[in-house]
Amino acid sequence: MTNVNTKNEMSRRKFMGLAGGAIGMATLASMGIPGWAANKIKIDPESLEYLEKETDVLVIGGGMAGLFAAVKAHDAGAKALMVSKGRLGSSGQTPFAKGIFAYDPSTAAMTLDEFTATVSRSALGSNNSVYTKQMAEHSLARVNELKDWGFFDSALYNKSFSKPINERNIPLLERIVITNLIKENGKIAGAAGFSLDEEKVYIFKAKSVILCTGAGGFKPNGFPICDLTHDGTIMAYNIGAKVTGKEWNDGHPGQATNAAACYDGWHGMFERKPSVNGIEVHHDLGVDLNYMAYTNGNPVQMGPPGAGESNPISGGPYIPAEFNRMSSDKPKDGPEDGKKPPRGERPEKGGKPGEGDAPPGMGGTSVGGSSAGMSIHKSEGLVPINDKCESTIPGLYAAGDALGSYMAGAIYTQIGSSLAGSAVQGAIAGEAAAVYSESANTPVISKAKIKALQEEMLAPLHREAGYSPAWVTQTLQGIMIPNFVLYVKKESMLKAALAYVEELRDHHAPMLRAADLHELRLVHETKNMIATAEMKLKASILRKESRCSHYRLDYPELDNENWQAWINIFKDEEGNMQFEKQAFNSWPNENLFHQI
Amino acid sequence: MAIENINGCIGCGICVQTCPTDVIRLDPKTKKAIIKYPADCQICHLCRMYCPVDAISITPEKSIPVIVSWG
Repeated sequence: MTNVNTKNEMSRRKFMGLAGGAIGMATLASMGIPGWAANKIKIDPESLEYLEKETDVLVIGGGMAGLFAAVKAHDAGAKALMVSKGRLGSSGQTPFAKGIFAYDPSTAAMTLDEFTATVSRSALGSNNSVYTKQMAEHSLARVNELKDWGFFDSALYNKSFSKPINERNIPLLERIVITNLIKENGKIAGAAGFSLDEEKVYIFKAKSVILCTGAGGFKPNGFPICDLTHDGTIMAYNIGAKVTGKEWNDGHPGQATNAAACYDGWHGMFERKPSVNGIEVHHDLGVDLNYMAYTNGNPVQMGPPGAGESNPISGGPYIPAEFNRMSSDKPKDGPEDGKKPPRGERPEKGGKPGEGDAPPGMGGTSVGGSSAGMSIHKSEGLVPINDKCESTIPGLYAAGDALGSYMAGAIYTQIGSSLAGSAVQGAIAGEAAAVYSESANTPVISKAKIKALQEEMLAPLHREAGYSPAWVTQTLQGIMIPNFVLYVKKESMLKAALAYVEELRDHHAPMLRAADLHELRLVHETKNMIATAEMKLKASILRKESRCSHYRLDYPELDNENWQAWINIFKDEEGNMQFEKQAFNSWPNENLFHQI
Repeated sequence: MAIENINGCIGCGICVQTCPTDVIRLDPKTKKAIIKYPADCQICHLCRMYCPVDAISITPEKSIPVIVSWG
């Protein structure tokens, strides 16, 4: 950090010098000449109130994972507190997830071990089979709790999510933007943030913290992830946690017409009550569709077998024959006896006719890239050191899309498992954090540290001039969203994009300005997206093979000799981004990794 | 425009809380909801679905204000 900060100050001085200095800029603004870079500040950053809160378990995020984390931490005897950037059940991707998987042993067509093995075959070994099995094993219990709370009775989740939180009197703070995690003596000590509505800064002192902050993207048009900017992952990375999974890509297409309209792209699906589905293992939403669009030109074709698949092309990402919707039905990658394994039951069609049930890409003309910047659910985020959702920092846990659990692997496998996995992992993390808190002391955070955090958090409000987060975000989108960068990758383009992103990191991020609390949020989100872009590009350059949702035009084959491994990313003591390989299906403490 | 208009607002503030991208705020004078940051709307319709008096109408088009070069 020290290096970067020094650079930032240099950049700022150079910038002010170029622009004629602070006096020149202020004069321009006061003369009424639209100084394009002037920060027309709307609040007094000096007047912000400062508040401290103390708890055993701090849950950050109010989606499916956060709900279960708070409830189970409380039920395990801990004092839990929930804080969310948005409203409970109404932010992140949870409000838009309408299918939840439940493994019911009394009706399932396969055993838990068969299910786990099927997912592993589809994921080409890239899943963590402990988390795959855990999700299935606990899914029915979580679904039954959700039923009791009324989750399946409404298309809107705030009421059912509020029920268990209110019944337990769990304190809930909404619309608080957490900007920093705090570490003291090598352990988690809390978090810092600010309110969007009131001019208040919050410091949370906590024995343990559970990140339920979801994943994120580059605020792409057409997918409801524009409030998700990898905040949790980057905050954890900044205090030394290992993170993973940045080279994988969600491949959702969006609509060519009204490309920004998430609601319309999902054909009214958001109005549907959620439903439960059984086993159905796929190898979906990789880059195969986007590869076809790249090769043939748009549009992207998607949907059930036979839907617009009349013109398959050769080459492109490898799909195991067992899971290939386009090839003949004969499995080439099945079990040794050659028998086609059960792939599962057809899921129940959710909702009533006319309620909408077609995801993006089914109906209308589709184009790729609508979820750009997002990895496969559960395959990016904090590296877990065990099956309790514990990160590499003592006391820091993550659940759902904030945890790089590789529950599904590097490709979408089980339908509805994203929501089920968030519920299951939230509960596991909540209980584990409560147990950890029993033997942990209430942390002491020094006044100097709090002052420094506050200054860093509010710095964009103090800048007299600089770059708007909207412009920097648009510039980043222009670099990262094209199909020849993240979807169909090759070294030359990845390196070219990285040069641009490093420029934004070193020169523009330090000069982001904010006129009010809304813009302050955008500044922190923009910084997190820039850090994510750097991780995605560097991890993509390193993985010199193609597997699941990572496709390299210059390395199109699987490389099982060198790449049956995940890529972990961490910050070294000098503040540099470092990478290591960790063998598939292993834990970090097994030392099955090496520096790369 | 994504959120087209807000008509018949009772000032309950639920849409302000509900919006994932912080587009809507209550006007400090009128105490009614206003579309404060339209460029950040992701057209997800949560505000409309949560509004207790169906005051919000949304269109699928989105136009983002032109951002000044280098700004």
